[in-house]
Amino acid sequence: MRQCGKRRWAALLLAALTALALSSCAGSEDPKNLITREEETKRVVNLFSPMEKTTPGAENVARTAADLTIAMAEERLGVTVDYWTYTAEDYQDRTYDEVALDRARNNMDDLYLLNPDTVLALGAEGKLMDLSGLDSAKNLREIIRVANTVDGKLVAIPQEVVAYGLFVNVDLFKQYGLDLPNTPEEFLECCRVFQENGIETPIGANRWWLETFVFAQAYAGLYNGGNTEAEIKALNSGQARYSDYMRPGFEFLQTLIDRGYVDAEKALVSEAIEAEGPDFLAGKTPIVMAYWGAANTETAYGKTDFEMQVIGFPSSRGQMPVMPMTGWAVGAQAEHAEDAMRVMEVITSDEALQLFSETNRVISPSKNVKVDCVPALRPLNDRIEEGVYVLGSNAGMNVEQWGNTCLIVRQLLGGATVDQCMEAFDALQDAALAG
Amino acid sequence: MKEKADKKVRRRGTALLLSIILIFGVFGTVVYAVSRKISREMSASAIQNLNESLDLIQSTIEAILRSEADFQELIAQDLARMDDPAAYVQSYERSQTMARMSLVLSGQTQGVSNTGEPFTAEDLDFSAGEVAGGLPVSRSYLNYMGTWAYTMKCPVRRDGREIGTLYVEYVYDTIDRFLPKEGFYNQRAALYIMDAQSERFVLKPKGMGQRSAGHLNLTDFYRANNIQEPGIQAEVDGCLKNGEDLLFYHDIRDVQALNYMWAVNGGTIFLVGYVPVEAIQQEGKAVTQNIFIVVAAMLAAFALCVILYYISWRQQERVRREQEEERQVHSRQLAQALQAAQIASSSKTTFLSNMSHDIRTPMNAVLGFTTLLSRDAEDPVKVREYTKKITASGQHLLSLINDILDVSKIESGKVVLSYEAFALSDVVSSVDAIIQPMARAKGQEFRVEASGLRHEFLIGDETRLNQILINLLSNAVKYTPERGHICLRIIGLKQRSSQYEHIRIEVEDDGYGMTPEYLETIFDAFTRAENSTTNKVQGTGLGMAITKSIVELMGGTIEVTSQVDRGSLFRVELELRVQEPVTDRQFWEKRGIARILAVDGDGESRESVRALMEEADVRLSAAAGMEEALALIREEGGFQLVLLDWEALSVPAAQAVRALREALQGPVPVLFLAEHEAEGLGEALSMGGVRVLTKPFFVAALREKVSELWGDDGEEERGTEDDMDLAGLHFLAAEDNEINAEILAELLELEGASCEIVENGRLAVERFQRSRPGEFDAILMDVQMPVMNGHDAARAIRALDRADAGTIPIIAMTANAFAEDEKAALNAGMDAHVAKPLDVELLKKVVRQRIEGEETQ
Repeated sequence: MRQCGKRRWAALLLAALTALALSSCAGSEDPKNLITREEETKRVVNLFSPMEKTTPGAENVARTAADLTIAMAEERLGVTVDYWTYTAEDYQDRTYDEVALDRARNNMDDLYLLNPDTVLALGAEGKLMDLSGLDSAKNLREIIRVANTVDGKLVAIPQEVVAYGLFVNVDLFKQYGLDLPNTPEEFLECCRVFQENGIETPIGANRWWLETFVFAQAYAGLYNGGNTEAEIKALNSGQARYSDYMRPGFEFLQTLIDRGYVDAEKALVSEAIEAEGPDFLAGKTPIVMAYWGAANTETAYGKTDFEMQVIGFPSSRGQMPVMPMTGWAVGAQAEHAEDAMRVMEVITSDEALQLFSETNRVISPSKNVKVDCVPALRPLNDRIEEGVYVLGSNAGMNVEQWGNTCLIVRQLLGGATVDQCMEAFDALQDAALAG
Repeated sequence: MKEKADKKVRRRGTALLLSIILIFGVFGTVVYAVSRKISREMSASAIQNLNESLDLIQSTIEAILRSEADFQELIAQDLARMDDPAAYVQSYERSQTMARMSLVLSGQTQGVSNTGEPFTAEDLDFSAGEVAGGLPVSRSYLNYMGTWAYTMKCPVRRDGREIGTLYVEYVYDTIDRFLPKEGFYNQRAALYIMDAQSERFVLKPKGMGQRSAGHLNLTDFYRANNIQEPGIQAEVDGCLKNGEDLLFYHDIRDVQALNYMWAVNGGTIFLVGYVPVEAIQQEGKAVTQNIFIVVAAMLAAFALCVILYYISWRQQERVRREQEEERQVHSRQLAQALQAAQIASSSKTTFLSNMSHDIRTPMNAVLGFTTLLSRDAEDPVKVREYTKKITASGQHLLSLINDILDVSKIESGKVVLSYEAFALSDVVSSVDAIIQPMARAKGQEFRVEASGLRHEFLIGDETRLNQILINLLSNAVKYTPERGHICLRIIGLKQRSSQYEHIRIEVEDDGYGMTPEYLETIFDAFTRAENSTTNKVQGTGLGMAITKSIVELMGGTIEVTSQVDRGSLFRVELELRVQEPVTDRQFWEKRGIARILAVDGDGESRESVRALMEEADVRLSAAAGMEEALALIREEGGFQLVLLDWEALSVPAAQAVRALREALQGPVPVLFLAEHEAEGLGEALSMGGVRVLTKPFFVAALREKVSELWGDDGEEERGTEDDMDLAGLHFLAAEDNEINAEILAELLELEGASCEIVENGRLAVERFQRSRPGEFDAILMDVQMPVMNGHDAARAIRALDRADAGTIPIIAMTANAFAEDEKAALNAGMDAHVAKPLDVELLKKVVRQRIEGEETQ
């Protein structure tokens, strides 16, 4: 009986195999054109953004966060977003901002990721699309809206509120019995102690971000004194001088340079993070400055062997976060303007910003999106939540701040005096008033 | 044998396993070799494929460069012909290919440009001497549009004289339009265009982040992709220096990839990037996968076949093993059967041989003495001697035949026990009567002992019990040399039930004994201990088998212990039903016996006597010796009978009798308990009122002796003896065998009787029917007869309408001698059964009983 069953199974198996063999032999193909016609309706949006130098195997989190929102847009809209990228090879190379300006002015791309000064410049030139009509624009925090509005047009929308702060090695501060500094004086004292203890250059700097020290001291009162609008108005009218605001910061920088707390020559030729990062990570340099996202990114300072905290820059009003506004903009004469606007709508939507903020653990520009930050960022986050911060750029000021200040700080690094630097500011203000 | 077979099976299994492994191994090796070959071919194919793709891109870019150069030369020629070439340049519209057109007239450092701005060639670096389409090409740079560009310069010659230089700026983005639309290898590969001088990537893939990491330059590319091996770096350097192509394998993000550097335009531009091998070998991968599927399917099919074969083999093996086992069992059984048959055959051969000898011996005696008888017929003394010997031989022959028939019946399970009331004393005395002479003849001492018995009147098959005892004892006599000792003990064991007497019968001798080997077969049929000492003993060899069978039939057990030259002990245990106690008060009262004095030195014996006498309703007083006895008499007095153990006497028997009688004040009867050979009683016996009661003590024997002493039964016995002859009786005999009929007639005549013989049952019935009433005293009826058998005839006679039809004694006289034959005869209406050969004494007894019974009725 059992044997009979087995035989039946064997017969069934053989039958199945035979059927399979026959079916594989059978079947004929219809004569037809084998060339697959390309999708004629492929829609492309060209996006220009900087790229970051990658290390082998490193996950580029910041880029991934943005990419996720782009992918979301591609999926929703059925468009393909082509990336066009540029990053300066060294200080002699043309900066990303310069290249961005050129490309925007020549309508090379549809979407641009722009720094605050570039936003203001291109906005003023009318090269950027007004984004205030987008639904996502309605969710923006007011400060973001103000900082990105040029001539009544919302010309850029950021995916994150970029806050700059001081990244400090808390272990070293503790080692030398130092409290984290609040004021410029306290900061100088810390540097002195570090230097006396063999850390010759306590501050790791590059050619981009030293201006944050200046902004913190220059505008701590302006943005936190309760009279912001009036003071800006006074500046725009020429009644107040930018140089007066900027002088303490520049003098402070000069002191840092003079005392050797900052290596000016090295800073002048250093790219961000690339130069000062290794020493900071190695615990040789106790203080560097960087943007919020660097604390979340392994390619920057996302993973340290010591306790790291991010605090505000020293000012008369205590630790002061400095917030320039990097944002996405659409070229006014973009070839694919319509699709680009749609992409903007998606990537700045609350859903996309939630995704972005959760991925990068950053402050969202949308008032509807709140995400916990990493522990290291809490001091900085607390200040921002308190409403204590300084803007690194403000479209409401008639002199562009972020880019100009950066350039003038480079002059200081290059050997110019504080007075010469102030003259430069005066010249800029005069030009603006004249313009 | 089995082990050998197992080994063979194991060897086969191992061989099969090795074969499978070998096949798998060979198959695996072939598959591996094929896959390696395919892999190599696919690798070569991938390299070829990539080569062709890169060659194509290279050709395209070079074609673009040539066409740009051609275009520029044409413009230069046009400009040469124009009056105001600068105006022409300024008005020339930009295109996707051409980002800027500038003209610097000879002798000037600044020229014009179609972008409207003044142009100077100072920023352009032509120092590397790179050429495309015959025109110098500048180092790549970021142009005013923020994109990578290069400029070619072309002299504007008019009439062989250079009037200026035409600079045209081309953007690399142009090349992008001629690259594969869906990306290089479906965007799975990376393709950068690198300016050889600056090693900057001037055209990059348009994905970033998750899709593809962007890179600045060659160094960054190799660093980010972890291509840092010095050997590769050296190759890269050489490649850059010599404008050669380079292709090498290196993992990119843990994926095997073909990395390339492809020189374009003689090495001014390089195509740099990588292609994951699997992106090139998509088809190959599919083919490989399919091959593996096919191979896997084949392996699975093969494995399935092997498994099926294995299962089938296992099944066959199991069947084979079962058959083998069955065969072995059969063989074993056959061997055993053969052995048993051989043994049986041998036993039976031996048996037949013995029988032949044992039957021929008495037969020889019968025939020999018959011859002698005919010769010495005139000598009455010899005639008597011969007939006596013929009778003895005939009896022996008869016992042999009985034994054989017994075995035959027992073996066929046809033995039926016949339960009747009997007295143990009868059994003992009859056995004693048979064995004692045999033992005495061999000068052996034979003793009978009884102890612990509570009941001597039992129910059972007395004949068979006799048979057991006689078999055991006659064996003992046979196998015990002269002057040996034989003892029969009947021991009452503890009763398991008051209804049954539990007895043990022991037969012990100090004879030849048996070997342990023989002990194992002693109870088997057709065996007989044989050695030089015993082979002179005659016997059927069936006695023990019969004995054991009967004992077991009675629900008892038999066992034997023996030692060679030390003797044997047979021990039979039986449980026999006790008869309902019959008060025989009358017997004792009639003779005025109310009290008996027993004098016995043996306490056990005294107890035995007391136990047995409990049923007799006579008061028994026991004394251990004469003194105690006399004391008892003095104290109690009034004994009507004294039992005196002769062995307990310390004084001569006669003296003891006198002393007792004196004490009892009268000639009180005395019974001496003694063995057969008790000597020294002569005087005492002559005193009158003294008898010997042979040990062991039994109540029945006591009663007999009492009857003797009181003189009443003696007369009866004598009377019986007198009546036992058949003189004057007339019989009707039905016998078909003439010889038997004649013998019967002669025997009856010898006894003074007469008979009329008829040949069958029918004639007997008819003859009886015709007879006058009282003509025949009894009918002797053979059973097996022609026409009508004895049974039917008896029934017919009983059914006759005659007054004496129901009363005339009909005695079956047949060679059908078994109990069931007797029963069948009685059932047929006959009154008694006498087995052939005819025992005249038995016939006389039976006939007399029946005739008396008829008379009584």
